[in-house]
Amino acid sequence: MKRYRVIGKSVLKKESWDKVSGRVKYIDDHQEVGTLHVKLLTSTYAHAYIGNVDTTEAWKVPGVRAIVTGKDYPLLIGTTIKDRPLLAFDKVRYYGEPIAMVIADTEAIAIQAVTLICVEYKPLRVVNSPVEAYQKDAPLVHDQIEQYLIDQDADTTGTSGGIRPVPGTNIANRQGIRKGNIERGFARSDVIVEEVFSFKQSDHTAIETRCADVEIKKTGEVIIHSASQEPFEMRELISQTFNIDEGKVHVHIPLVGGSFGAKTSVQLEPLAYVASKAVGGRKVRLRNSREEDIVTSPVHIGLHAKVKMGCTRDGKLQAIKLFFLFDGGAYAERAVPVTKAAAFDCTGPYTIDHVWCDSLCMYTNHPYATDFRGFGRTEVAFGVERTIDIMANKLGMCPLEFRLKNAIQPGDTSPTKVLLNKSNLGDIRECLLQLRELIDWDRGQRIDISDRIVRTKGISCTWKNGDPPPGVGAGAILTFNSDGGININCAAIEIGQGTKTVLTQMVAEKMKMDVDDVFIQMEVNTQLSPEHWETAASRTTFLSGNAVLRAVEDAIRQLKRTAAIILKVPVDELEVANKKVYKKTSPSISIDFSEIVYGYIFPDGKVAGTQVVGRGTYMIPGITEMDPVTGRGIQGPEWGVVAQAVEVEFDKRDNTFKLIRAVSVADAGTILNYKGAETQVMGAMNMGLSFATREGFLYDDQGKVLTTQFRSYKVMHYGEQPEYIVRFIENPVKGAPFGSRGLGEHGIMGMPAAVANSLSLAANVSLQQLPLTPEFIWKTRLKAGEVY
Amino acid sequence: MLHFNFDYYRPSSIDEAVELFDKLDQDGKKPIYLSGGTEITTLGRLNQVFTKAVIDVKGIPECNVLDYKQDSVVVVGAALTLTQVWESKILPLLGEACVRIGDRTSRNQITLGGNLASEIIYREAVLPLLLSNSTFVVAGIEGIRQLSVHKIFKEKLRLKRGEFLVQIKVDGKYRKMPFYIEKKRKSERVDYPLITLEALKVDRSIRLAISGLCAFPFRSYEMEKELNNTDISIEERIDRAILRIPAPVISDIRGSREYRIFVLRNTLLDALIYLGGVRA
Repeated sequence: MKRYRVIGKSVLKKESWDKVSGRVKYIDDHQEVGTLHVKLLTSTYAHAYIGNVDTTEAWKVPGVRAIVTGKDYPLLIGTTIKDRPLLAFDKVRYYGEPIAMVIADTEAIAIQAVTLICVEYKPLRVVNSPVEAYQKDAPLVHDQIEQYLIDQDADTTGTSGGIRPVPGTNIANRQGIRKGNIERGFARSDVIVEEVFSFKQSDHTAIETRCADVEIKKTGEVIIHSASQEPFEMRELISQTFNIDEGKVHVHIPLVGGSFGAKTSVQLEPLAYVASKAVGGRKVRLRNSREEDIVTSPVHIGLHAKVKMGCTRDGKLQAIKLFFLFDGGAYAERAVPVTKAAAFDCTGPYTIDHVWCDSLCMYTNHPYATDFRGFGRTEVAFGVERTIDIMANKLGMCPLEFRLKNAIQPGDTSPTKVLLNKSNLGDIRECLLQLRELIDWDRGQRIDISDRIVRTKGISCTWKNGDPPPGVGAGAILTFNSDGGININCAAIEIGQGTKTVLTQMVAEKMKMDVDDVFIQMEVNTQLSPEHWETAASRTTFLSGNAVLRAVEDAIRQLKRTAAIILKVPVDELEVANKKVYKKTSPSISIDFSEIVYGYIFPDGKVAGTQVVGRGTYMIPGITEMDPVTGRGIQGPEWGVVAQAVEVEFDKRDNTFKLIRAVSVADAGTILNYKGAETQVMGAMNMGLSFATREGFLYDDQGKVLTTQFRSYKVMHYGEQPEYIVRFIENPVKGAPFGSRGLGEHGIMGMPAAVANSLSLAANVSLQQLPLTPEFIWKTRLKAGEVY
Repeated sequence: MLHFNFDYYRPSSIDEAVELFDKLDQDGKKPIYLSGGTEITTLGRLNQVFTKAVIDVKGIPECNVLDYKQDSVVVVGAALTLTQVWESKILPLLGEACVRIGDRTSRNQITLGGNLASEIIYREAVLPLLLSNSTFVVAGIEGIRQLSVHKIFKEKLRLKRGEFLVQIKVDGKYRKMPFYIEKKRKSERVDYPLITLEALKVDRSIRLAISGLCAFPFRSYEMEKELNNTDISIEERIDRAILRIPAPVISDIRGSREYRIFVLRNTLLDALIYLGGVRA
């Protein structure tokens, strides 16, 4: 293993001290005198025609500057299917959908006025689950999907493209996988199991709720400040929707206070643009309350999954047939790419020759969905990994041995028929073998502590390829300070994942200088930074890292060229380190960066070199379009793999449980920042356990979400977490910065399945729904006759 | 954030407070008494509470009393926070109920009086007060009244318009009696209860009060009677007590009716075992 000076070290995040001392400023912390405030009026029905929207009383509140209703802007927007009205007109399709907005001097005035708007609703039959949506006689959430436009960027068949809504149904898109011959696969199987799994939509619950400021200058320039993961897509969307030159739209993104996929969707910004326009371009702020952030803004997708698996008597998996009905909610938006990606990696990291999968993105009268950490894999793994355990159990095999036996290997192909090798596939076997030691697997999967208390362990294996559409890339610019220090300019957004710090480590490593001499701006500004595809898909370090490394090479070339003239040494005999250029064979012949970074002038006035500006750009090669029916294609550069375990202590009388230990062994490729990697995985594990054991919306029978506050929507509290153990193996990836693999999402993916496997063993019933509340476990046991 | 403005008053005596209320009420200000203020914030931002004037009772000395002398009465001011009541250890029966409400940050703000007068159905601080036959001291324009908890707290605190809770008084003998308290939640450590059950052993009999099971907290003599019937097995006593639940058991996002009863059954068993005389 190659040793590095800075890479792999636990360098503190550049923003750490500001964060822990409460000094970091998020958008809503900035207050500017003269800013007007916007408040949304949201729907109290999940599905209804809207009649008259009476704003008479609202206008009477002193301080109200403007009121905008859906009829004022009958526009349809969306980054996949353009199906979503800016503000609902005609009808509302989910509880919490924006209908109108008030712009006023203060937020309090705007809220007061919003409460005085009267809306006439004519309730419609509600589509309250993806299964209901799939029925032949189901009401249609969208009557005429065939008339909707598809976003022009989504017209290819990558993860975000090739979208085909099915007219006369609630199907927004269908993505297939056809590998081998499914009938033959089952024919070769001695044992077949078929199970159904489900969970409802839930929320990301980032601490910073979504917020956007928009101002339209007299020059026509649109200045946006937003908490978002995708400034460039936002710029394009605003430009196209409102017919403004893209060069006039400037998006600023400061540090973002957590996202987990929530802020990939562009929602508040076009609304704030319209609000600003309504008040003559004055700066307006639109910020979500927690309730709005949970229900009005996009959510984490729900799923109803049917899993059928076939296996030989000696434990070799033959076939898997998967049918997914995803609860994408009222609008397609990014639910479509999530449901497509779910199909691409649908088997998990196993060798299965015969794969059939149909992944349907269903319209329902629920809040609409967007990316969520794991991007379809967490969801699918819950069903597939539970079924793996059910199958192992039926065969009388150890679930860990069973997984080892079927672990995918170089030479196999993915469900999308990509040939796997040591570089593009992490080593799941090695992960499993380490996991076995760390969780003391061989001491027993089930240990009775007392008559009532039992301790059990459950495991799972998952994998994920980042799935950017073809043609995505990043750019980076390096400038120098007069003392030779370096500034990085790139549009990777810091959402807590630590990318910015890792980029400074890469520059320091490559320049052989101190990481404290490398600086990076936290804010991203689309006017200044080179374009970067969204900060998503665990691809940011990969994309910007490659761009930054190329920029370093470019800067080194320039530095050496200048130094060669001054030192009178050929370029190829020069090296850089410690902010100096020196001659390899006699390092005392050197010149400091500080003397040359802005160019060098000889006493006679001759110039050697000019200012050094490093420039680097990168585009991921090799990604292809994906066939919508067979799924054939290359969806991304590499599969990261992870094996995970959860140990619980279950009370057989009360049906309550404690999380004792959770372990992850992930293939990091190469670790870039040890503590950073460890805490990324640990945080994701916690999120996965919280999602699996507590979260999930509850709806009433009219589709109204009942859990829109933290007092009803519960996430895991600090102190309730188990002991976390995170370990890495390192199998470098070709073409990735220092060989690193994506890690931002991997910690979450197997957690729901692992904890469900553990609890199923403890409770002696098969748990196939989330969240795994004590009441759900009790009811399942009651039905199975396990308790009375 | 509250989107409406209101006047804020902080009187320093009971008389001043009740007179202020009377005047503001006549002026159409819809005044409300405020103590910790958490519920006004909670419900106000949802438009479920509206006022143009709040009267903060935290400045009234009688509302801040925390007193107990040998062999006498425990007096606790209504404006003390749940944290203060718990930390004082003046009445463990009450303190242990208080410390199970909300989280620490909330308890530093929520007051005893505020919890007892809450619009939210749980009002868990009343459980020990029901068990100990406490006395409530309330003030109104007509003067101060002292009433038995059983008279003034029926499902909720029954104050006349313009009245506020000043103190509660509990006989000092309850400081040392054995009791059992358990709060069962859906899955979190911080949440409203599925049920909160408190049981007190007085001489050889058990008193029982429960919150979260029905739409209001209660003490049930009928259930107590069944539980104290030592002629039959413990399971039978619990079965019979469950038949005596005084109102419909609620079903909501925290748990179904059936599950609440399941949880109640186990918790009653634990309570009876803990308070002695019974083996599991």
